[in-house]
Amino acid sequence: MSTRARAVRWGVPAAAVLVVAGAIGAGPVIAAVQGDPQLPELTAEQLIGEVSAKWSGTGTMPPMSGTIVETASLGIPGLPAAPVGTSPLALLSGSHELKVWYGSADRFRIAIPGAMSEQNVIYNGGQAWWWDSAANTATKIKLPVDDPAPAPLPTAVTPPDAARQALAMAESDTAISVGNDATVAGRAAYELVLAPKAAESLVRDVRVAIDGETLVPLRVQVFAEGAAEPAFEVGFDSITFAEPAPENFTFTPPPGAKVTEGDLPAFTQAQPQMPAGDVAVTGSGWTSVVTLPFDAAALKDNPILAAAKPVEGGRVITTKLVSALLTDDGRLLAGAVTPETLEKAAG
Amino acid sequence: MARPWQATVRSALRLFRSELGLIFRRPRTVAMLAVVAVVPVLFGAAIRVFGDDGEAILVQVAGNGLALGFVAFTFMVPLILPVVVAVVAGDAVAGEAGLGTLRHLLTAPAGRTRLLGVKFAGMSVFALATSLIIMVAALLTGLVLFPVGPVTLLSGSTVPLVEGLLRIGLVALYVTLGMIALGTLALAVSVFTDTSIGAVVTTVVLVLVSQILTVIPQLDAISPYLLTSWFQRFDGALREPLATGDMGQGVLAFAAYIAIFGSLAWARFTSRDVTS
Repeated sequence: MSTRARAVRWGVPAAAVLVVAGAIGAGPVIAAVQGDPQLPELTAEQLIGEVSAKWSGTGTMPPMSGTIVETASLGIPGLPAAPVGTSPLALLSGSHELKVWYGSADRFRIAIPGAMSEQNVIYNGGQAWWWDSAANTATKIKLPVDDPAPAPLPTAVTPPDAARQALAMAESDTAISVGNDATVAGRAAYELVLAPKAAESLVRDVRVAIDGETLVPLRVQVFAEGAAEPAFEVGFDSITFAEPAPENFTFTPPPGAKVTEGDLPAFTQAQPQMPAGDVAVTGSGWTSVVTLPFDAAALKDNPILAAAKPVEGGRVITTKLVSALLTDDGRLLAGAVTPETLEKAAG
Repeated sequence: MARPWQATVRSALRLFRSELGLIFRRPRTVAMLAVVAVVPVLFGAAIRVFGDDGEAILVQVAGNGLALGFVAFTFMVPLILPVVVAVVAGDAVAGEAGLGTLRHLLTAPAGRTRLLGVKFAGMSVFALATSLIIMVAALLTGLVLFPVGPVTLLSGSTVPLVEGLLRIGLVALYVTLGMIALGTLALAVSVFTDTSIGAVVTTVVLVLVSQILTVIPQLDAISPYLLTSWFQRFDGALREPLATGDMGQGVLAFAAYIAIFGSLAWARFTSRDVTS
């Protein structure tokens, strides 16, 4: 066979590789070619006005279903890179996926898929169930009488919740602007940029993507100072605004499952106990520093503590977004500020 | 060659039949299929004799024999199935070269493409056979040893018996496709060497390495490109609603592997000098 014929034959696998690479890269390339979506221009004030008008009064979330992806890379030293399970600690690193189905305020389902397992919260007309396939348990959740909705789970910070929290922080110390329109879960979205004005803050800005059509917050990103990738991100990976199938909201404990009644097990127990004593907050807004009494001996063998850097008068733990100072006289100072600010606050 | 197409098809079918005979009449193939069939039976017997130990997935089996099908796939997909498929696929071309029979099979360049296609088809049938044997062995064992009834899914909902069986079938098909993708990789390695054991070991080592890479959290970014990280996604068949997105992506990943390694094998096989 001639060299040329051979070269042609090897062109086939090369073409196959190119096609596959093209298929993988097509999404970003198409997005780049299409450019930013074009939504009607709004100033920051108009945008916040429209959003709060929509959500503060009688505005309700439209029925929808979708996948939420939460990604955190806070750079906490000593934290195992991939903590397993659904403890709040596990959410501080790595990427997590949630599926949501939302019919109305009294009908929704949240599923946390795992490898050969799944956890579900199903809430329907005043009844809430927590299903854990790995433990084979169905828990009927006791609901507080005056508040029908179950307490928000740490894992279930939906974009609307996160946006509300971010907007609540927007005070006089925040520069608010509207960034370039973004595409989130295939939808054109406004991007509200909240940047702290104080120089000692570790947060560069918080970006909230708001769907251009329904004004549903689709994504919240927190960027640390000097980082190109967000340190924390929660947003929709896919979303469909349509009434989900009714069978998503019905749950009957399967035969053989342990049926119990109680609180949300995995989360409430894992919540850290607040140390007793005086908690003081100094500073305000982005640069608030929390001071609380803290006994370092209680955390003696904790890998996070072992990674702390000794400084004058204590030890400092720094992450991309939060610094903590453990003083030798038994106090813990923490805030989204530089370690120097903490040392100053410690006095 | 101006032959009518019926003759071409007929000769390809003849080649395919002889390839199937070559694969399935080998004592080692029979032994491997027997092992594959016995493992689910052992699982069932162990759960029956020693109890479920409170492990949720085993409790399911004790309550419903159909769940044994899922359990069997869960435990066999990471290693046993890949090894078995690698042995057959890795041997496909290199084995003939090693025995010196490859020379006789090849007469014209056009015949090489057909021969490789037949090798691919034979390997695919073997992959399907292993999946079906696991499924049937597990279902029969479950039927004999445990009560059988509606199936509980991972999402906590219960589906009727027939739908449960269909979902197990879906799992078997998904696993088959994954194993064909792996077999294509082994076939490509097999074309590049004259020693079948080399092709088999290379494939198994690749499977192990890629499974280790999947476990390292710092390498999360590459795991979607590794074949093995898609094998276990058959659990999408056990969710309500069916996780078609996840499984569809898995099928696309398998198709990509088949296209790349199939064409690599073809390019090498049709252009190399066969001396043995």
